[in-house]
This record gives sequence, C-alpha cells and structure tokens, in this order.
Amino acid sequence: MSDPSRRMLYVAIAASGALAAAGFAAFAIATSRTADNTTDADRSVTVTAETCQPNAIEVPGGLRTFEIINTSDRPIEWEILDGVMVVAERENIAPGFRQTMKVRLTPGTYAMTCGLLSNPRGTLTVLPSEEAAAAAGNVTLRSFLGPLSEYRVYLSMQGAAAIKAAETLRDAIAAGDIDAARAAWQAARAPYRRIEPLAFRLSDLANTIDPQAAFLELREDDPAFTGFHRIEYALFDQNSLEGLQPVADRLVADLTTLRARLHEVDMTPDLLMALPADMSRMLAESRIPNGEDTYAATDAADLQASLDGVEKLTGLLTPLTDPVDAPLAADIRQATDKARAELDSDAPFDAEARARLAPVFAGLAETLGKLPATIGVD
Amino acid sequence: MFSLKPTAFAVSITMLAGAPVLAADPSLDLVAPLADYKIYVAENTAQLVADTDAFVEAIKSGDLETAKALYAPTRTSYEKVEPIAELFSDLDVTIDARADDYEHAEADPNFTGFHRIEYALWVEDDTAAAVPFAERLMADVTDLDARINALTFPPDVVVAGAATLMEEVAATKISGEEDRYSGTDLWDFEANFAGAKKIYALLRPLITDDAAFIEKTDGNFDEVDEVLAKYREGEGFKHYEALTDDDRAFLSSRVNTLAEDLSMLPGKLGLS
Repeated sequence: MSDPSRRMLYVAIAASGALAAAGFAAFAIATSRTADNTTDADRSVTVTAETCQPNAIEVPGGLRTFEIINTSDRPIEWEILDGVMVVAERENIAPGFRQTMKVRLTPGTYAMTCGLLSNPRGTLTVLPSEEAAAAAGNVTLRSFLGPLSEYRVYLSMQGAAAIKAAETLRDAIAAGDIDAARAAWQAARAPYRRIEPLAFRLSDLANTIDPQAAFLELREDDPAFTGFHRIEYALFDQNSLEGLQPVADRLVADLTTLRARLHEVDMTPDLLMALPADMSRMLAESRIPNGEDTYAATDAADLQASLDGVEKLTGLLTPLTDPVDAPLAADIRQATDKARAELDSDAPFDAEARARLAPVFAGLAETLGKLPATIGVD
Repeated sequence: MFSLKPTAFAVSITMLAGAPVLAADPSLDLVAPLADYKIYVAENTAQLVADTDAFVEAIKSGDLETAKALYAPTRTSYEKVEPIAELFSDLDVTIDARADDYEHAEADPNFTGFHRIEYALWVEDDTAAAVPFAERLMADVTDLDARINALTFPPDVVVAGAATLMEEVAATKISGEEDRYSGTDLWDFEANFAGAKKIYALLRPLITDDAAFIEKTDGNFDEVDEVLAKYREGEGFKHYEALTDDDRAFLSSRVNTLAEDLSMLPGKLGLS
C-alpha cells in the first residue's frame, strides 16, 4: 500500500430519476383475442406450421406492439431473441388464436422464433429513433443494478481465489518447499491485484497485506513490514523461509478478512465509476515510477492483473457509457488496449519501460476520469 | 425448459386487473441479493459440470444401471437454475428440450440433451446410443458454466425468474411430461422449487410493507415441501406414478398460486 492516506470515497447517489426500461429490459402485456378481432399493433406476425409471415420485420426503436397470430395446428410460443437471450416472449398461443405483446426495443438486429424449434427463425430489425435515443440516454439507478451486482460477484470470486492461493503459499512454506512457495506467491498476487481498486481503499488491511519496505522507516527490518512483499523479500532476495510461517498465516487471515469486508461495502454508482480512474492514476503516479516487486521483479505480471481489474470495471460500465457518449466509450477501449499492448511487450521492466508506461497509464486515468461527469450521476 | 406455459397469460391479466401498488424505484439494496443469486447459479453450474462428467463416464463405460442412477441427481443443479434459462435459450434447447419441441419428436436428429439421453437409457435400453448425446451434453454444460461466469445478470430477469419457472412447472411439468421415460419428475420438482425459492428468499428482506404476502408465500413453499417430503426415497424421490391424484392437484394449486404471487415481485421491488 503506497498511499495509506486515501480515504473512502463513498458518495450516496442523490436521486434515482425516473424509471426507464433500459438496455434490453423489456416488459410485456398480454391480451388475447380470437382470430376475428383486430388490434392496434405496430406489426402483425402470422406463425404458420413452418414459418413466420412476414419473416423479416423492421420497426423503429421504442415501445412497440406486436400481434402474433397462430395459424398452425399446435400451441406455439413467439420470442424475440437478442443473440441467445430472450428479450420478450408470448407463450402458449393456442391454434387459431392471436395475442398482442408490448416490448421496449433498442436499435439492433434480433431474431424471432416461429413455432417449432426446427422452423427457421425470422429477423427483426429495430431502427434508430428519437424515442429509443431518449430512453438510452436516460441513465437511471436501475441501469446500475446489474453492473454493481456483477462487481460484487467479481470481488467475491477473486477474493476467494486470493485466499485459496495464499493458503497454497502458506502450505508450501510450511512444507519447506521454496520453489513451490515462489510459484504460489505469484499465483496469489494476481487475484489481489484484480480487486485492488476497491481493496486499497480499506487502508488498514492494505497496510498489512501490501506494504512496501520503501515506505517504512526501517525498511525491510521494520516490524510493520508484513504481507506479500515481506514474503517476496524472503523468497526472492533472502532465499530463506526462516520466520516466514507467521507472516504467511497472517496473510491468509488478512485476505480472509478483506473478502468479508469487501462484502460489507455498499456499492454505489459513484463508487463504481470512480474506481477504474483512481486505480489507473495510482499505477501511473506511484506503482509504475517507483516499482513495486523489488525482489521478484514481477511488476509486469502485477500490472497485467491490475489492468484486468480495471477492464472488468470498464466492461461493466460500457453498456452505460456507449449510449450517452459513444466517442468516450471508444476512447476508453483504445486507452485500455494501448496499455495492454505496452504491457505485452517483452522488454525488461527497467527505467526505460517505467518511463514509457507511466504516461500511458496516466492517459488511461485521464480518459477514465471523464466517466462520472459523462454518465451524469456525479 | 423450453416449452409452453398456459398460465403465463392468466398471470399477466391478473397483473393488469389486480393493479398492485408499485414501488417507485428500484433500490440499491437489490445489489447484494442479485450478486448472491449469481453466485448461487455459478455454484450450481460448476456442480452440473462435475456431475455431468460422472454421468457421461458411466454412459461411455456402458454401465446402464449407474447411468440411470445418475440421471436425476445430475439434472438437479440444472433444474435449480432454470428461473434464468431465458439468458441461455440456445443451450436450454440443446441441454433440456423435449421431444415434442421437434417436428419428428424422438426421431428428430436435432433432439439432444438430457431427455434424448433419458430416452436412450430407459426406452432404447442402450448406453451406446446415448454416447454422442452424452458428449454433446458435456460440451454444452461446460459452455453454460463459462457463460454464466462471464455474464452480468439482468436484474429484471432474475427478479421475474421465480414466477417464470413456477408458471412453467404449472403448465408443463406438474403433468409428469418432462421426465416421461424415467419417471424422475419429482427430483426436478424439488430442484425447481428450491431454485425459485432461492430468488424469493434473497429478495424477501426487501419486502418490508406486505407481511401478508410474505406469510402466504412462505406458507405455500412450506406446503409444497411437505407434500414432496412424502415421496422421498433414498437420496431422492419415488417414481412420478407414485404421486396421488390428490397430491398432484394440491401441488398444482400451490404452484399456480406461487406463480401468481411471485409475479408481483418485480412490481414490489420497483422493477416492473
């Protein structure tokens, strides 16, 4: 932990705004009529024994109504599919009957199922419209629920992976196997680095899990020198397992506590949007110029894992960013791809590499820093 | 399961006519239960991969009795995640479609997955016939597990999923048509109820203003459990034929009520 003074930045969202069905969130209202009634549907689709008629439909984006008429001799279901996902469906339409279905559609190409699984699917093309653009630009609390939940899952999964790998490390040290311990040390670093965007904000734990000797008064001899780098120092510099067992035990315990504490964090949209830029900035301003894995020289692998963690976040935010600011979404992709490409270089992680990487990550941080204002829950 | 659900329409009408008071906006309190639900699903798909591996090995080694014994328990982790089967409709077809979904029924070349294997084991009495379908099943469940882990679950699909599955149970499962060759339907029922109840149980603490709803829904799940308990045998359940007409009628009524009541969850949580 290079900067223990950073404080928690949780900001509660001020207002949740009006509800809008976003993304492929769809709702459907069913009514049923016998075949001789008529409806005000935008489109009528007849499902025969073999196909949909018409089998290719175009509608403008927004709230659309479909009327489905079953002229086959079996009960059918009619679905709109976005890839493999069902956007909306109307089930069990009896032979000779028709039903209507309302669904909010975003522009794109969809498939329609047409009765039996063996029947060919139809195509539904949803065209851009003012109505769809207005809905997409309305970022609500609701649109954050999926990304926030998924980030919690990621923290839980990676947190568990870090604990498991640290236990392997502890057991290798107990068994006196320094080669196995070195391999296990590296395996445990990656999941920790992936969740570090949030983990480093829990400064008490970060100070025992990841302190660097350079930031401690007595450096390697400082009693506060614990955690990953203390173990790294023993394994890669001292080539000794002496006195390491309690340090490894403590690391397992601290990572276990970390996972539990992360589970307690109230995830908010503001927090989610702040994390990737803050992490990238810390890498650019501290980790990269100062170097971190002094003894094992594994900075490049650590940075790869950090970038995984940043990309998880930006990937979760992309569906929100794209509709409101497509150029920014593209800039973010470009900046992360550039960072990834620079890290993939085989060049040694020397002063020259640090000088080359620091501005790349600073640029990434600057681009990511535009997220909160753009998405508009600042 | 990919199939038809007569009650879906009735439930939708009820929602219009009944006009329950809707919560205004979804709350960030939904984040934790949604995350916990995804972890539940991921644990089940991981279990499905492990169980399918053993099931497929039994088929490949020509051990008909072991394969038959593993069929129902292997399915349970899939049946538990069926509330969100809409998120992988292609795999739901190749893993769990029934013969009726195909033009040529059992003879249809596209009929694959659990029920095609079930047909091979119980009707064709032939593990060799099941081998290609077993290999395909292994690939499909492995794909499913990987996809689940990579997927951000849409909140509205999760919250609506409990009712969606109960509707399907009412419409096309309670009749015993799903596992028609093996008669192992009661295993599926229990897993379906457990899967729907998981969603309800995770969301229940967020419903603070409707004690009657909670009491009624808890009671219905409990009553279903009590009926199913009568048919337990060994690690699982008796043959579907053992289910009495009275108990089937009782289960059917409870499932329909659960489907209707659980369909109010999205409205109560600001996700309608």
